Amino acid sequence: MDDVDPTPTRVYPCPTVSEIEGAMKKVLEGSHGVAEAVRLAKVKVISAYPITPQTHIVERLSDFCADGSLPARFLRVESEHSALAALIGAASAGVRTFTATSSQGLALMHELLHWASGARLPIVMAEVNRALAPGWNIWTDQTDSLAQRDTGWMQLYCETGQEVLDTTLQAFWLAEAVNLPVMVILDAFFLSHTYEPVDIPAQEDADRFLPAYQPRFMLDTANPCAFGQLAPPNIYMEMRYSIQQAMDMVLNRFGEMEEQFVDVFGRCYGAVEPVQCEDAEIILVTSGTITSTCRQLLQELRAKGERAGLLKVKLFRPFPTEAIRQSLGKAQKVAVVDRNCSFGAGGIFAQEIRAALCNLSDGPQVYSYVAGLGGRDVTTDLLDEIYRQTKKQDCCPVESIWMGLREVSYAT
Amino acid sequence: MRLDVPDRDYMYSGHVGCPGCGAAIAMKFVLRALGDKTMMVLPACCWSIIAGPYPQSTLQIPVIHSAFETGGAVASGVRAALDAKGDKETCVVTWAGDGGTFDIGFQALSGAVERNEDFIYVCYDNEAYMNTGIQRSSSTPYGAWTTTTPGQDWKKMRKKNIVEVLVAHRIPYAATASIAYPEDLTRKVAKARSIKGSRFLHIFASCPTGWRIPSETAVKIARMAVQTNIFPLYEVENGSKYTINFMPKGYLVKEYFRLQGRFKHLTERDLDQIQAMVEEDWQLLLRKAGVRLQG
Amino acid sequence: MAEDVTMKTTPLFISQSYLTTESNKTGSWRFLRPRYAEKTAPCSAACPAGEDIGRVEMLTAQGLFKEGWETILRENPFPAVCGRVCFHPCERVCNRGEFDEAIAIHNLERFLADTASRYELKPELEVLASKKQKIAVVGAGPSGLAAAHFLTRLGYKCEVYEAASEPGGVLRWGIPSYRLPVKVLRNEIELIKSVGFSIECGRRLSKNFLREAGERYDAVFLGCGYAKIPQMKIPGEDLPVVADGLSFLESISRGENLQVKGLVAIIGGGNTAIDVARSVLRVGGKPVLIYRRRREDMPAFDDEIAMALEEGVDLRELRTVTRIERSGSEYLLTLQQVEVAYLGADGRACVEPVPHKTETLRVEKVFKAIGLQALQDWYNPPDEDSGSLRLANSVLIHANGGPAVVYGGDLTNDVKSVVHAVASGKEAAIALDVFFKEGLEAIPVRMSQCVVGMGPSLSMEIYVKGPRCQRSSHIVLYEEINADYFQLSPRIVEPRLLREERIQSFAEIDLKISANLAIKEAERCFNCGLCNQCDNCRLFCPDLAVKKDSESHGRHIDYDYCKGCGICVVECPRNAMALQEEN
Repeated sequence: MDDVDPTPTRVYPCPTVSEIEGAMKKVLEGSHGVAEAVRLAKVKVISAYPITPQTHIVERLSDFCADGSLPARFLRVESEHSALAALIGAASAGVRTFTATSSQGLALMHELLHWASGARLPIVMAEVNRALAPGWNIWTDQTDSLAQRDTGWMQLYCETGQEVLDTTLQAFWLAEAVNLPVMVILDAFFLSHTYEPVDIPAQEDADRFLPAYQPRFMLDTANPCAFGQLAPPNIYMEMRYSIQQAMDMVLNRFGEMEEQFVDVFGRCYGAVEPVQCEDAEIILVTSGTITSTCRQLLQELRAKGERAGLLKVKLFRPFPTEAIRQSLGKAQKVAVVDRNCSFGAGGIFAQEIRAALCNLSDGPQVYSYVAGLGGRDVTTDLLDEIYRQTKKQDCCPVESIWMGLREVSYAT
Repeated sequence: MRLDVPDRDYMYSGHVGCPGCGAAIAMKFVLRALGDKTMMVLPACCWSIIAGPYPQSTLQIPVIHSAFETGGAVASGVRAALDAKGDKETCVVTWAGDGGTFDIGFQALSGAVERNEDFIYVCYDNEAYMNTGIQRSSSTPYGAWTTTTPGQDWKKMRKKNIVEVLVAHRIPYAATASIAYPEDLTRKVAKARSIKGSRFLHIFASCPTGWRIPSETAVKIARMAVQTNIFPLYEVENGSKYTINFMPKGYLVKEYFRLQGRFKHLTERDLDQIQAMVEEDWQLLLRKAGVRLQG
Repeated sequence: MAEDVTMKTTPLFISQSYLTTESNKTGSWRFLRPRYAEKTAPCSAACPAGEDIGRVEMLTAQGLFKEGWETILRENPFPAVCGRVCFHPCERVCNRGEFDEAIAIHNLERFLADTASRYELKPELEVLASKKQKIAVVGAGPSGLAAAHFLTRLGYKCEVYEAASEPGGVLRWGIPSYRLPVKVLRNEIELIKSVGFSIECGRRLSKNFLREAGERYDAVFLGCGYAKIPQMKIPGEDLPVVADGLSFLESISRGENLQVKGLVAIIGGGNTAIDVARSVLRVGGKPVLIYRRRREDMPAFDDEIAMALEEGVDLRELRTVTRIERSGSEYLLTLQQVEVAYLGADGRACVEPVPHKTETLRVEKVFKAIGLQALQDWYNPPDEDSGSLRLANSVLIHANGGPAVVYGGDLTNDVKSVVHAVASGKEAAIALDVFFKEGLEAIPVRMSQCVVGMGPSLSMEIYVKGPRCQRSSHIVLYEEINADYFQLSPRIVEPRLLREERIQSFAEIDLKISANLAIKEAERCFNCGLCNQCDNCRLFCPDLAVKKDSESHGRHIDYDYCKGCGICVVECPRNAMALQEEN
C-alpha cells in the first residue's frame, strides 16, 4: 500500500487537538471511526449481518452495546435483507437506526433499499466498497454502491478516517433533515482497516451538532394509521416526486449542514473538493482513497509545471451538478478515474459527469478511465499514465479506457 | 347459546376482500382478542390489498406494510424500537399469508423466532398464493389444483407442516386455530398475548375464490377441515408440551374434498390415499401429544 | 409543480393512510341478499293448538318463565293440563329427535304452568275491545272453556252453561287425578275465566234452548262431549255386574270411596279403558284389560298403555267378549279369540274369530269402556248440508235467520284429545269473529291466513296480527339445521314415583322438575326457524355488515356493505335467515 500523508493539503482550516475541548485523538481503524460516530449519535436500534470487511464495525458496536456505552438494541439478524427490513420496522416506530454492509450484502438488500427511501426513513448505513462475486473478492471496488445509485439513498464517499467518522455523524443530520436514507461509503481495507489518527468528538459537541431524533411520522397506537398502503397510478407519481424534491433539498441544505459542523468541530469537506482547479487545463476527478494518491501526484505534476488540477467528489447522490460544472467547466480536459464499471456503458462517475457537463457551450472533454477494480492498487504511476494519456490525445474516446490490464489466457 | 368471544371490533366495513373471505374473518377475530395496543406488520399477501388503497385503511390499529419476505424481520425491528422507547404495553404482530410464512418469508421467520423475538406471528393460511392468482405454495395440500399445478400436474407434494418446524425452534408458544372455532381462536390469541417471546399462530382461513367453493360455505368448510383431522386444533408450549384441543369424530376426508372445486379431479383411489395420509399425520400428532391410541 | 427553494421543511408525501374504508360501499357488489326470515318450527305446526313451541323453549332457556308461559297461553289456555295429559304430537316431529332425542316439550309446558301457579303469576293477555255480539257456550269441558276464553279475548260476551256441579268436563270427571290432580285443574280454570267470563254450573239445558237461543244470543257453541258408553249388544250386558267405565271414573273423581276386590274385567282399548284399569288397581282390584285387536291398534296413548302394563294391568289382546253370565257369586265372561285377517287402510288390524278358541274368565266386576256417546242426541251436529261449514276440528251451522251454531270438541274432532278440543274452541272463536265481520263465505280464506305452517292448526297470535305473522310458513326440516353447533346431550329423564308407590293411591305420578333441569332441557331445543340472538350472523360476517341495533338486543344487516356472501345464512344454526336474489 502506498504511504498516505496523514495531513493532506486542505483549503479549509483544520484545528489542532488542543483547540477542541474534550476531544480525544486516537489512532483508529476506519471501521472503528464509524462505530464511534454511531455511538455519539445515540442510535437506538442497530441491525446488521457480518460480511468482510464490514465486520469490525459491527463487532465494535456489539462491544459498545454490551458494555453499556451505547444503550441500543442490537438485532443479530440472519441476513442483510432482514437487517434492513428490521431497520425499516424500527425507523417506522420512530427511533434512530444504523446498519453496515458491503458488496453481496448490499446487493441482497437491494429490494429494501428502494423500500427505505420510498418510505422516507432516515436510516444511515456504512457501506464498505467491496467487489462483487463471482470470483470472491473482498477488496475495494465501487461497483457495489454505485449499482444502487437509483435507489433513492444519498451517497457520500470518504477519503480518510477522520472523514469517515465526521461523515457518519453528518449522515444522520442530512437523513433526518430531509427524511431520506444515507450511505456513508468507505474503501475496503484501505479505509476500513487502516489505522489513522482521528479526533473523536466529545458527546456534548456531538449533541450540539446532532440533537435527539424527532420523527416526523411513526407507528403510534394513540394515532393509528397505515404505512405503505396500495398507491394507485393516480397518486404514486406524486409520492415519487416528493423523493426527488427531497434530494434537491439536500443540495440546498448541504452547505447549511457543513456550516453547523464547522461551528462545532472546525472541519469541513464540501460536496466536492476542487484542488488547484481554477487555472488547470486538465483536471483529474477521483473519489475515495484514490484521492489521497492523486493529491500526491498533483504535487509532483505541479512541481513539473503541469497545469493540472484535482477534483474530489464526495457527494454522489444527489449528484452535485452545479458544483461539478463550476469546478470543471473551465478546464480543457477532464480525466475521471472510476474504480467501478457499468457493463455495457462504462465508468459511472464519468457518465454522470459527462451528463452534467453536456449542455455547457464550452465544456471540457471528459475522458473515462477504469482502474483498481477488485482492490488492484492505483499507484501514482498509474495516475500519471492516465494524466499523460489524457494530455496526449486529441480525440476523446467515448468508451472507458481500462488501465493496467494484464495479458491473460482465457479458459475455453 | 352465544359463542363466548370478545365483542369489540377493530376494523371497518368497506374492505375489498372477496365475498366470504376467510382471511377477513380471521383478522376480525384476532383483532378482537388483541385489542388496540397492537402494531401490525403486514408483508405482501391478500391483506395488503384487502386493507384498502391509500388514503384509506380498514384497520383501526397502526399498520406497516412491508416487503414479501420480511414479516419476521420488520417485526423484530418494530419491537426493538418499542423496547428502546420503554414501551411495554404494545404488542407487535406480524400478519402474513402462507406464502410469506412457508416460502419466501421463511428465512426471516426462522431467524426471528430463533432469536426468540418478542412478537406474535400470525399466519393465515389459504393454502396457495392467492393474492397473485391462486399459485401453489408449500402449504397447498396434496391433491389440490392451482394455476401452477393444473390438470394432471396437481400438487403431489404434501403440505409443509409449519407448526412442527416452529416447534423445533422451541418457541414458547405455537398453535393452530380455525375461523370456524372462534372461541378457541380468541382464547389462543389472548393466551399468546400474555406470553413473552416468539409466539406463532397458524390459522386456517378458507378462500372461496381459490378453493372453488360457494362463498356461503367458507366457515363450514373450515369446520370440516378440523372435523376430518386434516387440520387438527392443537397447541405446543416450549417446543415439547402438546395439547390437542379438539378430538373430532373424524368425518371422512372424502366429504371435505368433494365439496371443493379445487379437488374435483381426484379419483376414489386418490381420496383413499389421502385419507390414509391424514390418518398417518393424525396418529403422529397423537403420539407427540402422548394421547393413548384407541384400538 | 413549482419548487420553493427556500422551503425549510422538505415535502414529505408518503403512503400514509388516515381515512377509513367506510366510503367504499361494497354493498354494490351483491347479487344475492341475505335477510332475517323466521320460519315455522315443525313442533308448532304439529301442535293442534298451534302453540309457538320453539319460542316457548327459547324463553325458558333464558329463564324467562313467565314470558314462556304467556306464549303458551296465547294459543292454549290449558298448559298445566296439556303438560300432563297431552299425547304430545309435537315431540314426534321434533327435529332434535333426528340428532339425538326429541325435546321433552310436555315436561317443559308443565314446568312453566306449575311455576306460574307456584308464584301465583297473573298472565298479561291481550283482550280486544268489546263487541256487541253475545255467545252462549254449552258445556264447560276443554272445548267449551277454550271457545269461551278465545271469544272473550276477541271482545265478545260469553255465557257458559255447565250441567255438572263443577266445570272441566272430561278433564274433571274422566281423567283420574294420578294423571291430572283436581287442584291443578281448578287453578287452570280460574285463570281461563279471568279474561272475563263466568260459568253457570248445575244447569242442564234442553233441546229448546237451541231453538230459542237466537232471541238472546248471536251464536251458540256446543261442546257437550261424551258422557256415556254405548251398548255392546252382547248377552248379559244388563247384569248388575256390568258398569259404565265413565261413571266409575266420575265417582272416583267425586271422591266417593269405592272398593273393588278381585279380578275386574275392563272391555276396551282407548284412554278411558286404560284409566279405568289403572284406577281399579288403586282401589284394590286386579284389572284385566280385554281388547279385541292388537296392542298397537289400541287408540289409547302409547305412554299410557306402557304405564298401565308397568303397574301390573293384565292385557288380553285379540279377544272379544261374547257373553256375560252369572256363576254363583262371581261372573263368567266368555272370550273369543280372534286373529288378524288383514290390515285395514288405516293400518289397523281387521280381525276374525279363530274357530273353537274360546276361554272363560271369572270376574267380580266388568267395566265397559268401548266407544263413547253423547248424552243427548241434539248435542251432535246435524248431517252436513249446504248451510254448514266443516272446519278442521268443528262444524259451523248457520241456518237462515237463526244464530250461528258451532259444534266442537270430541263430538266433531277426528282425534279425541284435549288439545284437539282446544283447537276446536279456537277455531270456533275465529270462525265466529270472521262470520260476524264478513260473513260465512269469508271464513275459509281468513282461516287459511292464520294457519301455522300448512295448517290445519290455527294461531290466535297470527290472527290478531301479532309478531308471529311475520314468519314464513315454511316448516324447517332437520337438514336445514346447522347441527355443527349442537352437541349430543340426552333428554331429561322424567322424574316419577316409584312403581311400588304409584298404585298405592291416586297421587300424581309424574313429579316436578327443577328450574335448572328445565333450562338445561330447553337449551337443547334448536328453536327451528327462530332467532334466539345467538349472534352467529354478526360474529362471522367478514364485512362487519351485521350491526347491533342500538335500542334492542337485535341486529340488522347494513346493506351498504353486505356483499351477499351468505355465510350468515349458513352459520345460523336454526335457519332463521334466507338468501334471495338481489333485484
